[in-house]
Amino acid sequence: MSSLIVVENLHKSYGKVKAVNGLSLQVREGSIMGLIGPNGAGKTTTIKAVLGLLKPDSGKVAVLGEDPWDNPKIRENIGVIYEKAYFPAHHRVLDYLKRVCRIYGVPEARALEVLRLVDLDAYDREIRGLSAGMLQKFEIAHALIHNPRLIIADEPASNLDPEARTKLLDLILRLHREANTTFLISSHILPELSRVCDSMAIISEGRVLASGPINELFERYSAKAVRISTDKPEAFAQELKKLPYVERISTDSRGVSIVTTEGMEPNIYEDAPKIARKIAAVIMGIELGTASLEQLYYKVVREKAGR
Amino acid sequence: MEKPKGKPFLEILAASIHEDFRFPILEVFAFLYAISTFVLVQIGGGYTLSIAGSEESLAYSLVSIQMGTPLFIFLILIFKNVAYGFGSDLEKGTIQTLLAYPIKRHMILTAKMLSAIGISLAMFLGIQFFALYLIAPQTVANHMPIVITAYLASLSYPLLITAIMLLIAMKVRKGGTALVLGIVLYFAISMASGILTILYIFTGNATPLKILAIIQPSTALQFHYTQIGTLISQGQIETWTPSFSEALTYIAGGYCLVAAAYLISYYYFSRRLNI
Repeated sequence: MSSLIVVENLHKSYGKVKAVNGLSLQVREGSIMGLIGPNGAGKTTTIKAVLGLLKPDSGKVAVLGEDPWDNPKIRENIGVIYEKAYFPAHHRVLDYLKRVCRIYGVPEARALEVLRLVDLDAYDREIRGLSAGMLQKFEIAHALIHNPRLIIADEPASNLDPEARTKLLDLILRLHREANTTFLISSHILPELSRVCDSMAIISEGRVLASGPINELFERYSAKAVRISTDKPEAFAQELKKLPYVERISTDSRGVSIVTTEGMEPNIYEDAPKIARKIAAVIMGIELGTASLEQLYYKVVREKAGR
Repeated sequence: MEKPKGKPFLEILAASIHEDFRFPILEVFAFLYAISTFVLVQIGGGYTLSIAGSEESLAYSLVSIQMGTPLFIFLILIFKNVAYGFGSDLEKGTIQTLLAYPIKRHMILTAKMLSAIGISLAMFLGIQFFALYLIAPQTVANHMPIVITAYLASLSYPLLITAIMLLIAMKVRKGGTALVLGIVLYFAISMASGILTILYIFTGNATPLKILAIIQPSTALQFHYTQIGTLISQGQIETWTPSFSEALTYIAGGYCLVAAAYLISYYYFSRRLNI
């Protein structure tokens, strides 16, 4: 399978700040790749370089085999969803999308089709009058209008309500399944990425810490989590934090998930009952499973930082 | 099957015109152009006829009097379009959306400039020529090269300031700041022009004025036709009365500056500007 995006040893600085520092990345055709990392990790700079919006200081960027800075023609095959998009504000929603149809040379009927696909019915409203959520839906419709082979999305769901977010994820999966559309998605919302992505690149301080198919990453980093179902998850978490081999804890209303130092998972089975006795909690169950994407992310970051 | 061909340039141009001249901007400015042009023709026409010596200077004077206020309105319109149109696109990020389309960067800039400057210029010149043909059809018909030269000389300076404002807008990425800096620059050069003319009258040294004439070639044409030096100094100091061909050289020089400023803007936008 060929790579639609190839980034090799990318460097980009803004003044003295190194936004991207030797980043390399490949997105294979037909994959849904997630780009995760903290704020300032270099995700947006990488995406901008891939889109040809900025010129790298050094390194190579190839999208569909071409340098995106010099070959705007490749954008016929790319759909873009920015975190915060601005469109010519005084156009009406449907009119502007019809214009976009003419830009790409697709039938104008496609405008209505994509608006229905994203559940946006404010056809006659001016773009400046759309709410943040509506604008994001409009942007998604805008990105889909020419049936692109590759969709690059920077925080595509940040302004959507939970229902619209679920619909977007379903839409991504549908496009991937039906049209083999390739996605590169940057997002902070890790559960949403874990639902759709089949591969992942974890970025920190301008370089890729780990990348590859998600299953491989979980295996490579032995990212397992122990799940304790209990009636006092918060109190349990406080006690677990004191254990030296516990790396990360997350709680919900029904229990605690723990990522331990590699190979230390069995220790939980000894320590959990002691904690339960100490805080007078009831343990409903303890099971070893796969860590969440968030837990994998923190594990990779810790390991790479040598902690 | 080959993909159908889109028309990104025409559509971006149409979208820019829609944004730059949305109702009632076009209507208001057309009204202002028309009113100012015809009022100036009424006031200035008779005066021009009374002072102009030759037919040629009559044609020149007619154009320069008729152009005064409309040229300033033209300037406001193109400043608004470049600073608030293009500057705000950069500031807010609309340019990112345009750059997602399959079109070269310089074509996006051309579409933007055609909308910002081209439409304004067509409206300005259309009303101006219409008025000229109404007031003095024979003079205009007989001296068309002089009329065109007068317009060329007067338009190079606003176009130069607009190109500089475009560069500022790209650099600072703030429409408001670009607008303010452009207006300050415009008035600074206008004031310098006035000061240099006064200096010339008192000292007789025309060198600074000649330098100014490259930026503002209308100065050279003005001195060619009205011979201010001769009138005021009454032959006591060296006068600068450029020949018509010399004035044309200044106009050519002025347009070289304009072209250079736009080329730098195009180069910067196409090859250097990181969004």
